[in-house]
Amino acid sequence: MATEDARYRQTSQYQLWSFSPAQLAAMRETTNAAARARIAERLSYSQPPSAAASSTNTPDPSGSTPAPGPQLPEFLTPAEEAQLVAFFTSELLRAGDHAEMSDEIKATAAVFFRRFYVTNSIMTYPPQDMLIVALFFGCKAEGSFVSISEFGRTFGKEHPEEILAGEFLLCQGLRFALDVKHPFRALRGAIMELATLPDIDPARLGAAEARAREILRFSPLITDAYFHFTPSQIMLAALSLADRALAERFITKTFHYVAPPSAADNSSGPGTPVPDSGGGGGTPAPSKKSRSGEDNKAEVIGSQVRDKVLGAIEACRDMLSRELPERREHWTNKAVIKAQIAPLRKKLKACRDPDRWNLVELQRRRREQAARNVDSEDEDGGRSGKGSLDADAAVFGEPLGAAKRRKVEGGRDGKGGGGLGDPFGPPL
Amino acid sequence: MSRKPGSTSASAGAPAISTEDMCPVCKTMRYLNKDMEFLINPECYHSMCVNCVNRLFNDGPNQCPYAGCHRTLRRKGFRSAFFGDLAVEREVDIRRRVAAVFNQVEDDFETLDDYNNYLQMVEDLTFDLVNGSDARRRQAEATLQQWEAEHRAEIERNRRAGRDADDAARRRIAAEREAARQRRVDALREAEQEKLDRARSREAELDSLASAGPDSASRVQLKRRGGQVAAQRALDAAVGAAEAASGGASGGGGAGGASGVGGASDVGRLSIRGLKEKKKPAASEGPYDPFGGLEFTPSRYRVLPGVHTHPGIEKYKSDPAHVTGGYDFDDYTARAMFEAFAGLAVFVEDEKEVGVGLSASEVTAISAGIAAVGDKMDLD
Repeated sequence: MATEDARYRQTSQYQLWSFSPAQLAAMRETTNAAARARIAERLSYSQPPSAAASSTNTPDPSGSTPAPGPQLPEFLTPAEEAQLVAFFTSELLRAGDHAEMSDEIKATAAVFFRRFYVTNSIMTYPPQDMLIVALFFGCKAEGSFVSISEFGRTFGKEHPEEILAGEFLLCQGLRFALDVKHPFRALRGAIMELATLPDIDPARLGAAEARAREILRFSPLITDAYFHFTPSQIMLAALSLADRALAERFITKTFHYVAPPSAADNSSGPGTPVPDSGGGGGTPAPSKKSRSGEDNKAEVIGSQVRDKVLGAIEACRDMLSRELPERREHWTNKAVIKAQIAPLRKKLKACRDPDRWNLVELQRRRREQAARNVDSEDEDGGRSGKGSLDADAAVFGEPLGAAKRRKVEGGRDGKGGGGLGDPFGPPL
Repeated sequence: MSRKPGSTSASAGAPAISTEDMCPVCKTMRYLNKDMEFLINPECYHSMCVNCVNRLFNDGPNQCPYAGCHRTLRRKGFRSAFFGDLAVEREVDIRRRVAAVFNQVEDDFETLDDYNNYLQMVEDLTFDLVNGSDARRRQAEATLQQWEAEHRAEIERNRRAGRDADDAARRRIAAEREAARQRRVDALREAEQEKLDRARSREAELDSLASAGPDSASRVQLKRRGGQVAAQRALDAAVGAAEAASGGASGGGGAGGASGVGGASDVGRLSIRGLKEKKKPAASEGPYDPFGGLEFTPSRYRVLPGVHTHPGIEKYKSDPAHVTGGYDFDDYTARAMFEAFAGLAVFVEDEKEVGVGLSASEVTAISAGIAAVGDKMDLD
């Protein structure tokens, strides 16, 4: 096994945040279903059947009354959610451009944002606020520490709390995996490697790099590429979109190993030193595993692996080609927004979570509850164990609210969390 | 072994703790006899006062005076209890006895597991002896005696080895203490000597100054310096001697330790599983690896520091802001190259679905193969 791959497998990006398309779709389904059920419950809870009586005893935290009339609004489907997340990702990238942030910060923030909305529904937490939070937190994760008041002024936020309120929430949603591996530096490495070849024109390399970087700034961030592919694969896919021949050259140069004829199963004759160049279906695997070193080499840089890598890059290339940088305008096009995004946002406004939509209010209530928990622990020593347990659970996303509500949700939480199999409990 | 005092005394046959103030046999109170002393016999651990023991057993063996206890006791077997709780006293006696028989040490075993199994076996046996039911106790007793009879020689050898090791340790400690004392005495004597020397040289100086004229002061200075050099040389010699002595002492200590180990290791073959024939040299584990065996040599590329470069970093190579701080451009190159190749053959879809190193198609092929084999086996 190649040492580079082994090292990549140690990263949190691989261990926590890489999924097959089927897994990702299943997770989004689960998140969507959980959010639907919870929001439906909350809406009916905060809005008693007697609609005439104004809900004075249960003050609505968001300040806006949910649409009266039919009890439950129409919820977003997972596909609609994904489209909205893509739209807000493009908004995030635009906001990053506005604040003149570096590519890494914007990319990290975008990946944070998308990861957050894998286990959290866009109906639960407000995406407009979360994208600012993701940008701020992305700055910190990339080691560029801006002051919160200055940052807030850039985005017209008067109070730092509006940004800080969502910060821990975001961290929870990211399962505290804050290191995002990007393909930008990998692109530099690939260009360096290609520059060592004698027959490559530097101008061509420069053009290819510029174009590939342009693609990397946008396409992988707005698609699911970061979930399905490794940075080097994304990088090569972008390079292949920019200059296909260069990317293929890079891969053939890397996976150049051809099994020597003695190790290969050559029944045709020992005197023919014509190794299969691997252009077709790949070399037959050596039948006799006599030389483990040779086998290992074939495993790391053999032609079979090359074909598989080419397949992965082709898949990634397909994904990226759906969202080339030229599509930036698509996401800001007024007509498109009016036709596609505006109806979704309207729908979102109707079905959003009344308890969680206002992050500042949410945080204030969580703090109050935590303080209350501490008080009750002081008063009642016998139940302190349970209290601290609840506090611990709250760190990892136990829903807040009355104990009764928690009990009602308990069974469902078990199912949802089991499906995702993540160590930090059910989706928020 | 934690157990509540007296909880199993009924089954073990030992009495509950008797009050310290009254002999249970003759009912004499401590109030009447201040020097009253209680004795027990390890046959049954029933306590009684010295007077009773003398009265009952001076004329030879007799039955225990406790109601229901039919043991025959002898005067010779009586002693005073060390522990107030006689159940503990009994357990300690039994443990001492078992430990004398089962006296293998860890070095006698091949692996730690074997040693632990052995300890577990011994502990089970001890537990049976201490508070097992009658049948179990008898069985454990039989096992113990059988073992003792069969392995008398080994037990004796181990015991001697243990004693030798103890003796060696004691001797070594004593020798070290003696050496330390000797060093202290030497140091004191040296300090005394130095003081004397200084006084003498000062006197000599004064004498020479008094006898010679004022022009010879510089000569005196020179001479004095020469004396200092000589003293320094003597000091060096002394330090060298001390080092040699300490080296010898430690070498002696090492030899002593080695002989102790050798004594313990030449044990004959026993039937306990995992006992090793001879001591194997411990395999060295090497230095601690903070990366848990992760390899850092690239397998798909080679970094050529001079060759791999990028127009984007060229201008910084002469930029004082970067160069002065010690920024290493080769590090940057290595990192960029690593990232370009890392995870190139990590296929997320396959690996997250079925595991590292297999593709989904291969898995289906394998499972098909297994199914085929299974069918064949069914046919057979």
